[in-house]
Amino acid sequence: MAMSGRIAPSQANPAQPGASLRLRRLANHLGLFLVLLVLWETGSRLGWLDPLFYPRPSAILRSFWLVYFENANIWWHLYVSLGLVLAGFTAGSILGVGLGAVVGLNPLVRRYLQPYVIVLEATPRIAVAPLLIAALGFGAQSKIAIIMLVCFFAPFINTLSGVMNVPAEKLELFRSLRATKWQTLRKLVLPDAVPVIMAGERLALTAALSGVLVAEFIQRDQGIGSLILVYTRNLNMASAFACIFTLTIIGFGIFKGMELLDRWIAFWKHQDGRERVSAARARAHAEEA
Amino acid sequence: MTAAQADAEPRRAAPTVVAGDAIVKTFANGSVTALDRASFDIPKGAFVSLVGPSGCGKSTLLRLIAGLIAPSQGAAIVHGREVTGPRPDIAMMFQKATLLEWRTSLENVLLPTELSGTVTKADRARALDLLNLVGLKDFAFAFPAQLSGGMQQRVALARLLQTGADILLLDEPFGALDEFTREHLNLELLRIVGEFGATTIFVTHNINEAIFLSDQVFVMTPRPGKIAKIVDINLPRPRTLAMQLTPEFNALAEDVRATLGAL
Repeated sequence: MAMSGRIAPSQANPAQPGASLRLRRLANHLGLFLVLLVLWETGSRLGWLDPLFYPRPSAILRSFWLVYFENANIWWHLYVSLGLVLAGFTAGSILGVGLGAVVGLNPLVRRYLQPYVIVLEATPRIAVAPLLIAALGFGAQSKIAIIMLVCFFAPFINTLSGVMNVPAEKLELFRSLRATKWQTLRKLVLPDAVPVIMAGERLALTAALSGVLVAEFIQRDQGIGSLILVYTRNLNMASAFACIFTLTIIGFGIFKGMELLDRWIAFWKHQDGRERVSAARARAHAEEA
Repeated sequence: MTAAQADAEPRRAAPTVVAGDAIVKTFANGSVTALDRASFDIPKGAFVSLVGPSGCGKSTLLRLIAGLIAPSQGAAIVHGREVTGPRPDIAMMFQKATLLEWRTSLENVLLPTELSGTVTKADRARALDLLNLVGLKDFAFAFPAQLSGGMQQRVALARLLQTGADILLLDEPFGALDEFTREHLNLELLRIVGEFGATTIFVTHNINEAIFLSDQVFVMTPRPGKIAKIVDINLPRPRTLAMQLTPEFNALAEDVRATLGAL
């Protein structure tokens, strides 16, 4: 392979490593990971780590097989938990964005609401969870309410600051062009706030995943959170780890998914997005002509 | 204006389109006078520069004419009517390009049309012509972040012309650009506003730039901001960069500088 010829340019420009360097780094990462796994496995087998609390990687792998295929019991719990996450996140973030926009655009509302927002923000949201259960009873409603609560603030605060921080000179431009309030909102304020709102949504969805676990730890009837509790109580740590690593993968998926969504919606903030949309607009224009 | 006055001042034969009638603007409950009794007549098609140091009220005067702020006393009169708010025959360009980052050049130029009604095929064609006019034919579908500072101001200039206004107010439009780009864009600006026959009011703190571009220079002085002197610039048009080296040009610059220095 002519790989060695690629080394020179990659050294000249360390920000964009060449293919061979990337491959080597990946191999290093994988190697290190394998070494850690082997250390864990042997440590557990030799009794350095208590296998009761730190199950061997091979045991965890076996549990993955069990919970997903042999018993196939995790699917239902995943379905329940992710359904709650989706419902709570959607409701919480719509409420957050909506209220954020209303409060941000309305100085009078802002003045009277601000103290409450500050107090609520300073209160740990999870502390309110038992109260919500007491008020709404056991069941899906109170779980969704807890998720809404943890999902609400990031979109709320970000939307609020997004609509309030539109550059003054752009507002002046719209005024000089005699834009109506509605036009200014739709064509300037909201699009200008989109990137910061998206950042809020990203935080909210990550919080939703923690929210559902807290809700299920308190009401342990079903869902991935209650499954983790059941396994740890039965000292079936390998299966508990399988659940936790499942959540890791979901969390990573959420992170990547939101990143993709951001690149799609707030395309102008990313070079590849600008180039893609710019080319698409030019093509559309050429087809029309 | 009576016929006798018009005869007495043959250079002002064109009808007045922008006038100031003792405009006063105070801030902070009258304790700060930003502009003190500004009176002037600007004939149709003239290029006027407002020049002076920071705090002399030049931007305030521009915003008063644009209808973005209201005078404390007196009035700005445009096309014979008192200015009470932003109006379609006046358009403004700012020091920052103020382009919308999520819109292409073409979509940015079309913004004024979009805000005042629906965009027709003819509007799009006109916007493309204007982009061509400002030298951005190949960048109609680029986003602002893909353009240099000078190119962004060209888009802003095309957007200014897309409004169809015949009075153009420019607030240090090229002030944030480097010297070479600025000189180049100034020449382009003269060509373009000449082509459109627009009346132009241009704010700058650069004396040479003001003289080079203008038919009249309003020399403004601070505390309180006022028009200290109106200097007529009788240099022939079209202007060339070489004119800046002539004794006539230097004499005019000396006149402006002396007015500013006599504070």
